[in-house]
Amino acid sequence: MQVYLPIAEMSVDAFLLLGIGFGVGWLSGMFGVGGGFLLTPLLILIGIPAPVAVASGANQTVGASVSGLIAQWRRGNVDLRMGGVLLVGGFAGSFLGVQVFAWLRRQGQVDLAVAIFYVVVLGSVGALMVRESVRAILHRRKGKVGRRLHAHFWMHGLPFKMRFRKSRLYISVIPPVLVGFGIGILSAIMGVGGGFMLVPAMIYLLGMPTSVVIGTSLFQVVFVAANVTLLQAVTTGSVDIVLTLLLLIGGVAGAQFGAAMGTRLRGEETRALLGAMVLAVAGSLLWGLLRTPESLYVIGPLP
Amino acid sequence: MAEAERRDRVFLVVVDDSPERQIALRYACLRVRHSGGRVALLRVVEPAEMTEWAGVGAMLEEERREDAEKLLSGLAAEVQEITGGLPILLIREGDPRDELLALLEEDPRISILVLAAAAAGTGPGPLIQALVGRHGARMRVPMTIVPGGLSEQDMQRVTI
Repeated sequence: MQVYLPIAEMSVDAFLLLGIGFGVGWLSGMFGVGGGFLLTPLLILIGIPAPVAVASGANQTVGASVSGLIAQWRRGNVDLRMGGVLLVGGFAGSFLGVQVFAWLRRQGQVDLAVAIFYVVVLGSVGALMVRESVRAILHRRKGKVGRRLHAHFWMHGLPFKMRFRKSRLYISVIPPVLVGFGIGILSAIMGVGGGFMLVPAMIYLLGMPTSVVIGTSLFQVVFVAANVTLLQAVTTGSVDIVLTLLLLIGGVAGAQFGAAMGTRLRGEETRALLGAMVLAVAGSLLWGLLRTPESLYVIGPLP
Repeated sequence: MAEAERRDRVFLVVVDDSPERQIALRYACLRVRHSGGRVALLRVVEPAEMTEWAGVGAMLEEERREDAEKLLSGLAAEVQEITGGLPILLIREGDPRDELLALLEEDPRISILVLAAAAAGTGPGPLIQALVGRHGARMRVPMTIVPGGLSEQDMQRVTI
């Protein structure tokens, strides 16, 4: 069943979109991830223009993360104050990111930029994930846990200190704002929530206790990704309501299945699988950048 | 012989985050002080959420376990003060109801399960509701339900 996407200006099979939404939702429910980093490249691969794919990815991330945030909120695992500080940086970063995105689009380079961003970020994240999982599988019997470093470094000498009661921290607001800012830029350009980078940054860089990390990162992800969707809609006009609706319907259904399966699935093998999937997505985008195009010369109107 | 057997009985108290757990713990301690036995404390920690990073997941699990150990050792001091003996400390990971039932099946030392009903609200609490309702058939030991609003005076009276 072909449907016409008014903003993407192309016709796609509605069941393909529902299927993609379902698959990504299933994976995001199972692995506890937003799913934007899988959805955006998949949409690009089926021929959706990069700006529309990025906006849809951000939108999907909001949908996938809200229920997780509500669950964490009920258990009191959200540090609102830390989340607010991160959000200040996140809003600024996503605002700048969308401006950069709009500028790239005017230059006609946005597809290239998004693809390069994805190849670099997903390539390194996927490689790290696989390496970490393989190492964990090999060392499983030893039961060793990477301890955090309780070291003081230059970060702790920064001004504007603030007390974060729930995180049991008294640190400068500059590092969290910068972390939020960076994730905001990533979110705007890649259409991801950024949890895969935010969570380690919160633990290893800011030194937050792990109990509040997941909830607080979801808090940041939901609002920043929502902000990105809104800004993309206003600035570049690239949110396709038919596309996002079909993807969200599939995504919500898939997430239910995935979450039910995820509680039974555990351990390093699934994580290695996720890493391999991330690497495969990065690899296919890299191949798209390197291969010889089918038509070397294209004439078309500038966007 | 009868005296020795009495000392061997174990009161299991589930340490959750409800306000009435203190009532159950107090009841179990006083029973032990007045008529012998031991207290066992069970804390069920949530399993770590799936995250992208193995290191983060391992740290999450480790910190949850540490928190549980800290909580239990604090309560253990309290138990020792009242009963004079150290309690058995049990930490398990998973769903509280399933883990409790699994423990009762696996651990032959447990003699009685002590739970306290919520003093206010619409029901006695999810655990009691499950154990007297749908999962009642899986219980392997008798269960004592202590009213959450029991006064200290009554507590002393009924534990003699």
